[in-house]
Amino acid sequence: MTVFSRGSANGTRLLDDFTLPSEPGREREAMERVARAVGALGLTKATLDRLKTAVGEATMNAMEHGNQYRADLPVSIQVEASDAELVVRVTDHGGGRPIPEAETPDLEAKLAGLQRARGWGLFLIKNMVDDMRVTSDERHHTVELVLRLKGGD
Amino acid sequence: MQTTRFEAPVRFRDGIAIMDLRGDIDAGAEDGLDTAYGSVESRGARALLLNFGSVGYINSTGIALVVGLLARARRDHRPVQAFGLSDHYREIFQITRLSDFMAIFPDENAAVSASA
Repeated sequence: MTVFSRGSANGTRLLDDFTLPSEPGREREAMERVARAVGALGLTKATLDRLKTAVGEATMNAMEHGNQYRADLPVSIQVEASDAELVVRVTDHGGGRPIPEAETPDLEAKLAGLQRARGWGLFLIKNMVDDMRVTSDERHHTVELVLRLKGGD
Repeated sequence: MQTTRFEAPVRFRDGIAIMDLRGDIDAGAEDGLDTAYGSVESRGARALLLNFGSVGYINSTGIALVVGLLARARRDHRPVQAFGLSDHYREIFQITRLSDFMAIFPDENAAVSASA
């Protein structure tokens, strides 16, 4: 389903709402589609690049860890904006089980072979957006990527 | 969104290996990077320069592959430097601290001069 700029009573506008099958590489579609959806918000190139990286990594995590790359399990992505913030919500089917604590990447340890080379995704997401909120229920796991917008002062 | 196939041809300049990275650095780049570093090893280059000028996308898996490449080069006592990074990926190399272990230059001549 695609809904563009549908308003709500609290001033939040739904800019896009779509799903993608959990297949390696499909996160690139999420990045480009979210970038198109937020095109009218006037984000700087640097902010847009950071948002795209966060969306790509969150979508990859959802496909890999939440949906185990099962193509029949889609990842849902919603893009909403108010005057105060932009929220991109990435939802997978990985609910109902504990979320393992992510190891903080330590490059020196990785270079010394004391920590695996991978494990950068969550770290990148947290550094690319203003806030990251995680919610879970019995069926779904959702990551919200939040950018504060200037109009929300 | 179409992905771009990864390639990493290696050329040599004054005993320095220059790896011209092209395409997307994601999971699909692993074999290409491994083969490219093999040719750097076989020629016994004294330093390695990574040219990111034709790289449009690096994801977290790609960062891990760069970390692995850097680890191999450090084990071989081979300094690694980089050039051609976009502003965005330069920021990511700073956040991940890759730039603490891999000096970043604006262009090839500056990187080669620093390796001389």
